[in-house]
Parts: sequence; structure tokens; C-alpha cells
Amino acid sequence: MNDATLIRKGLFRKKLRAILLMVSIMIAFLIFGALGAFYTVFTAGVDVAAANRLITVNRINFTVSMPFAYWGRVQQVEGVENVSHASWFGGYYQEPRNFVQSFAVDPESYLAAYPELVMPDEQRTAFLNTRTCLAVGADLATQFGWSLGDRIPLLSNIWQKTDGSSSWEFDICAIFDGDEATVPANYAMFHYEYYNEALAFNTDQLGWMIVNTTDPSINERVGRDIDALFANSSAETETSTEAAFNQAFLEQFGNIALVLVLVIGAAFATILMIVGTTMVMAINERTKEIAVMKTLGFNEGRIFRMVLSESILLSLIGGLIGLGLATLMVTGAAAALAGFLPGLAMPMSVVLTALALMIGLGVITGIIPAINATRIRIVEALGKN
Amino acid sequence: MFKQSTAVTMLNLRSIPQRLGLSLATIFSIALVVAVLMGFLAMANGFRATVAGSGEDDIAVFLRAGSQAELNSGLSRDDVRLIEEGPGIAAAADGTPIVSGELFVIVDGIKRSSQTEANLPLRGVGAQAPQLRAGFEIIEGRMFSPGAGELVVGASVLREFQGFELGDPIRLGTNTWTVVGIFSTGGSLAESEIWTDIGVLQNLYQRGTSVQSVRARLTSPEAIENVRTYVADEPRLNLDVSSEQEYFASSAGGTSDLIMYLGWPLAIAMAIGALAGAWNTMYSSVDARTREIATLRAIGFSGGAAFIGTMVESMMLAAIGGLVGAGVSYLMFNGISASTLGSGFTQVVFSFDVTLQSVINGVVLAMIVGFVGGLIPAVRAARVPLLSVHNG
Repeated sequence: MNDATLIRKGLFRKKLRAILLMVSIMIAFLIFGALGAFYTVFTAGVDVAAANRLITVNRINFTVSMPFAYWGRVQQVEGVENVSHASWFGGYYQEPRNFVQSFAVDPESYLAAYPELVMPDEQRTAFLNTRTCLAVGADLATQFGWSLGDRIPLLSNIWQKTDGSSSWEFDICAIFDGDEATVPANYAMFHYEYYNEALAFNTDQLGWMIVNTTDPSINERVGRDIDALFANSSAETETSTEAAFNQAFLEQFGNIALVLVLVIGAAFATILMIVGTTMVMAINERTKEIAVMKTLGFNEGRIFRMVLSESILLSLIGGLIGLGLATLMVTGAAAALAGFLPGLAMPMSVVLTALALMIGLGVITGIIPAINATRIRIVEALGKN
Repeated sequence: MFKQSTAVTMLNLRSIPQRLGLSLATIFSIALVVAVLMGFLAMANGFRATVAGSGEDDIAVFLRAGSQAELNSGLSRDDVRLIEEGPGIAAAADGTPIVSGELFVIVDGIKRSSQTEANLPLRGVGAQAPQLRAGFEIIEGRMFSPGAGELVVGASVLREFQGFELGDPIRLGTNTWTVVGIFSTGGSLAESEIWTDIGVLQNLYQRGTSVQSVRARLTSPEAIENVRTYVADEPRLNLDVSSEQEYFASSAGGTSDLIMYLGWPLAIAMAIGALAGAWNTMYSSVDARTREIATLRAIGFSGGAAFIGTMVESMMLAAIGGLVGAGVSYLMFNGISASTLGSGFTQVVFSFDVTLQSVINGVVLAMIVGFVGGLIPAVRAARVPLLSVHNG
């Protein structure tokens, strides 16, 4: 009988109790894993932001447009490698509830600004050369069952054409995806020209610009220079890094990180209390056994290690099952949520944090019983009764 | 039977101090479950109360057909005139129709909590607008003067965003404004807005005489049907008409449902974790008293009494946990001010609202945990064999 067997026997001495504790621990890690995965993908916009990419918006607010001519002027700024622009279309397919995130862009510079968007070469060429082309993200195509060659109308809840209609006809000639799962591919884009020439109002305006600098170290200077170009005009601009822009947008929803920390904290406080007190009790019940082990020549260090291993094992079994369930859940939800939370998966960082938490939980709940166990005195323990 | 049950119950409850650690852990874990649930419910209820509570059924909202949101909409001066001339619109004492064409622009404000920019609605309104918001009053300063670069700011905006103190100049985009008044509408949605004179806004944002939405006071809630028929039959009008109540109810749904759909599963998952804890505690309770229960059985107490004793102990712990959780969450959450992005794509400021209904929900959830957690240990207590008197 080696130590591992003894630890296992000790843990399952009362089977039901061990299972109940594992269920508690499992739930806490299920919550941690699932929320961690959602939070990671929710904040992915900050992580996938390229270091040298800046976003220029109207200083009033990013929903306010600016003159099309700005695009050309920003290209002249020193240190600017590429400038592209995009405009919000407010698109929907057939019915208003079928919302389609879609932008009018300058295709060539847009693809240069976002090298992480990938598509077959012939589709890229088709997108660049076809005026009525709609380039559709893979997730969006799946959501609506669209495929290459389809001709579909997209309606806008904002814009109207000079003929009074709000519907633009598009040919799907490219389907793009991100080179990594976290890069969103849940939107569509099309030629700015095709959209602008039919507009009844707000013509020759663009929504925002995407600026790639030659080096991230000059971001701040380039941003200042761009904003200075349009200072005191009727449409002043505000330039920030893509990461800062995305971060600020997420903050608009509220302090989600704080809510998550509170919920996960509550879940862990619960198991800490339950598992901690139960472990103390479980070891107290075994005072005599431990005294016998000491009599047989188990030294203090060995007993300390065995008790601590028991609580860590408990924590690992419960935690790994919980994390496994969370992964299953997240994978199951990924397909259904691809439309608005693309790239949902269990991130490695969450797995590693969970593992560290499992070991930490095991040590914290096991340390007091382990110290108690080493302090057991054979004479007193065996002399009881 | 009743006497026996009471006696066993008292024995159980008096012996709780022997299992103090475990009992406290159970109370604590159930309290946390209830607190998490109530936190989410308070958030959802607060948001819903602010948005849905804002709507009145005798105010009609007109948007361009298909635009879905004020931000996307656009109406001409002629549209406004046709609405004013239409049926079902109430008139003020002097005979002018109570109709307000409004312009809606999103501007950046700095959120106090995060120091980041967030979307705020800057609304250009005419003289009739205050009459079309229930409970509107200027609580500090005065109303803006027509034609001046002056703002009145909703009390909620002042609370959550910096730079809008009375008398302060504030730069929004290219223009500098002066805050001349703070208004309240009793916590409804309008309080999350900034108002100015529509003429000034149309001019600064080159909107000519166009507006984005029209609000009108109806002669009665039923008159909306006449208005709908009129708009549908008038070829020059291409509008969506809804009562303000419908308009806000539809925009409150998404966010508050999302919070509910997050809160309930989380609380239920945590309740299962706490259930395992409660179960464990009650097992220890029964285990520790096996001999005592067997003795009681031997002197004539029924198994039912032992069952009830254990159940009451479990439910008692759960009830304490539930009430502690509800009390703490009331103190912690009730009235907290928060803001999030609403369906108008602007910040909606709301206060957490711990309602009686959510307290009841929380305590019921706690009692379910206590009941299920106590059930199997209680059955075991009822079945303690008499021979256990000799063991242990």
C-alpha cells in the first residue's frame, strides 16, 4: 500500500461526502470556465487590435460622419502607411430583426488595413473589381445560409436611395474569414462607391477611418497630426489606437469585469467555506488513524504531505470535471452564438488560471487540517476513550 | 407526534453550535447564492423600470418608416406640419397642438466610473417638449433660452458623467455650450439626456429644418388608432407610429432579458453547489447524533419526529442564509446608480432596484436548497436502526 493509495482511501472514506464536495467545486469551476471564456471573446476586440492601427472618428461621437475628402488628406500625414475608411450601413436582410452588421468600405485599402482577413485570391480579385460585390464573413454566411454567387438585397434602416427605396442589391462574390478564431467574421462589406452614388442624403461622407502607421512607436504623433489637420473645422476628429477605441466601446456596456469578478468571487467564497470546514472535520475524525500511522513510523512531513495531497486531489477532480463541462458548454454554444460572439472557445489562459486556482484551493483548504494532523500526539489520540 | 417533533427539533437546533463551522458555511453559501441572484434581478428590474416606466399611452412617437430607432430616423418640416394638422392630437389652452419635433445627436461624455468616453444623447427640442415628458421639472437653474448655446442636463447624466455641473462651459465636438439648468423627470429615461434648443442644433449640425422624431400628445390613448389610419392613408407621410409605452417597452426588453437570462442560470448553478454543502452539513448533523436519535426511537419517539427535526434544522439554516443574503443585497445593491448602452445606442442611467418580488424569489430559492438538502439526510435520520444505541 503506497501513499497514493492511502490518499485515495482517505479521500473516499465517506464516499457521499467526497462526491458532494466535488459537486460544489465542480460548479465553481464550471462558472469560472464558462464566464472566463465568454469574457475573453467579449473583449477579443482589444486583443486582436493591431499595435499600429489607429481609428479616426468625428470628435462629436463615432456615430457622426465626416467629409469624404478627409480620406485623401490623412494619406499625406507623415508616418501613415495605409488609410482606409468605412461607413455604417445599418443593414438588415428581409426583416428588421435579421440584423446584418455591414459597412461601406474602400475595398483595396480596407483589406490592406486588416491583413488578418483572409479569402481565396480569385475571390479577393472579384471583390476588388466587382462594384456590386458583397464580401461576407464566414460566420454571417453560415447564419443566413448564403453562398458564393447568391444575389441578395440588403435593406438599410438609415439610408435611402434617390429613388426612395432603402434596398441595395448585392452579389456575394467573396467569403472571408479571420486567420485566427478570435478575429470576427460576422459582418459584411461592400464598395463605398456603389452605396454613395445612390444615396439620397449624406453623400460624400464617411463614418470613420482606419489608419496604419509605419511603426507603433509613432502612433501618438501621427494621431496628433491627423487631429490637427481638422482642428477648428466643422468636423473635428479624434484619433486613438484601435485597442483604446475598442476598450472604450466595451466600457459603454458597464463594468462587466467587476460584475464577473463579484460573481466568480462569490462562487469561490462558497466552496472555500464548505470545503474548508469539511476538510477540518474530516481530518479530526481520523485523529486515531493518524496516530496509528505515526506509531507505525510515518513522519510528520509525510503525514503533512498526505493530508495536503488529499485536499489538492479533491480540488483537482472537482475542478477538472467542472472545467470539462464548461468546455463542452462553450463549444456547444459556439455555433449558436457565432453571429454575435464569433470565435467562442475555451481559451488556454482560462484553463491555466483554473488549474492554478484548483491547486490554490486545495492548498488553502488543506493547510489547516494538514498542520493539525502533524500536531496529533500519539499518546493523547490513542488514549482517548 | 407534534410534541415529539418539537422536542426533536429543539434538540437539533440546540446542537447546532457543535457543528458551528459547517452550519455557518451553509448559511454563508446560501446567502451568497441569494445575493448573486438578487444582484442580477435588481439590475434587470432597475433597467426595466427606467426604460419601460418612461412610456405613457397618450403620447405618440413618429419615426420614419423602417428606421427602428430615433438615431436612424429623419423627418421633414412638412411631415411635422401634417402630423400637427392630423386627427387625434391634443391642443394646448391657446389652441396650438402639443407636438414636438426633435433632433437627436449622439455626443461623447466622460463616464465618471471608468473615465472613458460614452455615448450621450443631445436632444434638440422645441417649447412643447417639457409638456410631453411626465414629471418634467427644472430642479436647478433655468430652462435654456431659444437660440442660445445653452444646455439643460438630466439629473442622471450629471450623476454618471463629469463636466456637466451647473454653470460650467462644456465642449461637445466643435462647440462650446453652457449648462444653465438641471432637469428631472422622476428617474425616467429622459433624465439620461441633454437638451438644447432645436434651432441651435439644426444650425450647428447643418440639418436644415429636418427633425428625427416627433412626439405628440393624443386626445386620448384610443386616439392612436385614428392617427395610425390617418398616417397610413396620407400618401405624403411614410412613418411608423407607436405609443410611447410600446416604443419604450420594446426597447427595454433586450437588455433586461439578457441580464435575467444571465442571472438565473448562474444563481441556479451556485444553488446546486450550495445544495451539496447543505446536504453535507445535514449528513454530519445526522451522523453526529445517530446514537441520540436511536435512543429517542428506543424510548418511543417516532421516525417521523426524527425526519421533521432534521428537515426543520435544514430549512432553518437555509432561511437564515436567504434572509441574510436578501438583507445584505438590499443594503449593497439597492439604489446603486449604473449606466449601460441602451437600444438608442446611448447611455441609459438607471438605479438598481431590489423589489419585494426579487426578495421573495431569493428566499424561495434558499428554501428550496434547504428542503432538497435536508430531505435525504432526514430520511436517513428517520431510519436510524434502534441497535445504533450500542454502537459508536
